[in-house]
Amino acid sequence: MMEKREEMCYQFVEDEIESLISPPEGGSSFTALLELPANQVVKLLDSPVGFPVPEGGNNDVNLVKEEPVELRNSEDSDPVVSKSVKRKEREKKVKLPVKKSKNVVNESDGDKEKLPYVHVRARRGQATDSHSLAERARREKINARMKLLQELVPGCNKISGTAMVLDEIINHVQSLQRQVEFLSMRLAAVHPSIDINIDNMFSAESGSLMDCNFHGMVSPPLSLDGQINGHSQQLWQPDGLPPQPLWGAEEVNPNFITPENSLLSYDSSGNSASLHTNQLKMEL
Amino acid sequence: MHTSSKLKKEFFKKWMQGLQICCSSKKQMNIMERKKKIKLSSDIAMASAKMTPTSWSNALISNAKKCEQDTVLVDKLIGPQSQLKLQKTSNKMISFHNRVQCKKVLKRSCNYAAKKTKRMGDSRKNLATIIAKRLVKKRTKVLKRLVPGGESLDEFSLIKEALDYILSLKVQVDVMRSVVNATEVVLNGDNLMKSV
Repeated sequence: MMEKREEMCYQFVEDEIESLISPPEGGSSFTALLELPANQVVKLLDSPVGFPVPEGGNNDVNLVKEEPVELRNSEDSDPVVSKSVKRKEREKKVKLPVKKSKNVVNESDGDKEKLPYVHVRARRGQATDSHSLAERARREKINARMKLLQELVPGCNKISGTAMVLDEIINHVQSLQRQVEFLSMRLAAVHPSIDINIDNMFSAESGSLMDCNFHGMVSPPLSLDGQINGHSQQLWQPDGLPPQPLWGAEEVNPNFITPENSLLSYDSSGNSASLHTNQLKMEL
Repeated sequence: MHTSSKLKKEFFKKWMQGLQICCSSKKQMNIMERKKKIKLSSDIAMASAKMTPTSWSNALISNAKKCEQDTVLVDKLIGPQSQLKLQKTSNKMISFHNRVQCKKVLKRSCNYAAKKTKRMGDSRKNLATIIAKRLVKKRTKVLKRLVPGGESLDEFSLIKEALDYILSLKVQVDVMRSVVNATEVVLNGDNLMKSV
């Protein structure tokens, strides 16, 4: 008997979590969602409602603000149907307070720092002393955020269980960090000095740079001429090139001179001779 | 997402600034040093390009400041206003961290005695939950080490920080990759032109 009730509780928990997760509206409300669990207010039941759970199971409890009066009265003879009906009603009711609490968040932005008393309603078949209630509230918050994390990390949606999800997250973070290291190594290898002449691009609009770069990534092998032209035009736009005496010609890597030379001569359309020498120095 | 492209631009600008500052020193650097400088300026740029400073970004910057060589670079990059904020938050974090550690030690010593008596009457399900909790604890420890400044955070905010950190790492990787590809395309294409 106890096991049956516990199973119901587990199913209950899963349903609640699913319904908690369903409202996300997209990337923009991401941070709003993050604020949500912290400021969610549910009612506190000081005296346990029908706990320990009696045989009839009349004293159901809700997760949410709405009064359980209607549900309490709707005990049917057929337990399965009633349970599914109740679950749906509970799901609906869970969604409503999510919206309400969002409004609360918008209104009381000044109170973001303070966490009000977190009110939690006891669920069926669970302890109702304050410690476990608080723990459960905390767990729910954590689980909600874990769901958000799951959506962020690719391939995490199918995994269940906190430990596995955390595993995936850790792997993802580690791989991203390694990628950063790897990419910075590649950059360091490409240029003999840190001096990337992309700062010319930087002085031009950086927005167009992004587009240009992405185009370059998409189709490097085809139409290389056009691409290079476009790139180099962007790269060596003489947009207010500041005289940089600091970038001395001390670091001379002989291997690199020839490619840069040829590239510069190829792109000699709009550049002055002084610019060429400056560019060379910068490259070196 | 339009917000991420803004972030990308910010990051890119700051990163280029950082690289300029780096190369203004006339030393000849070998590849490892270069790579370190590139990575450092990239990290700092990422941390300072955020609209709202979060815990990990502050922790990153304060960690970088501890190392004497890089303080100059860091200071120039982040700008004067944020430096004051950083100092305040870093002091708070240190004291908070100590407090948290003391509490943890206390908790552990209390729970140890309690757990000894509890374990006698375990059913299978309780064992499973205990094992699951242990796994989760191990992994949260690892995550705390990964996310900068994560040690002094509780689980709840740790997850939030991890979320944020993952997002910004993605931005960082995207921008860096496109820069690297652009320069490589240019150079490779040039070699191709030569051969033709």
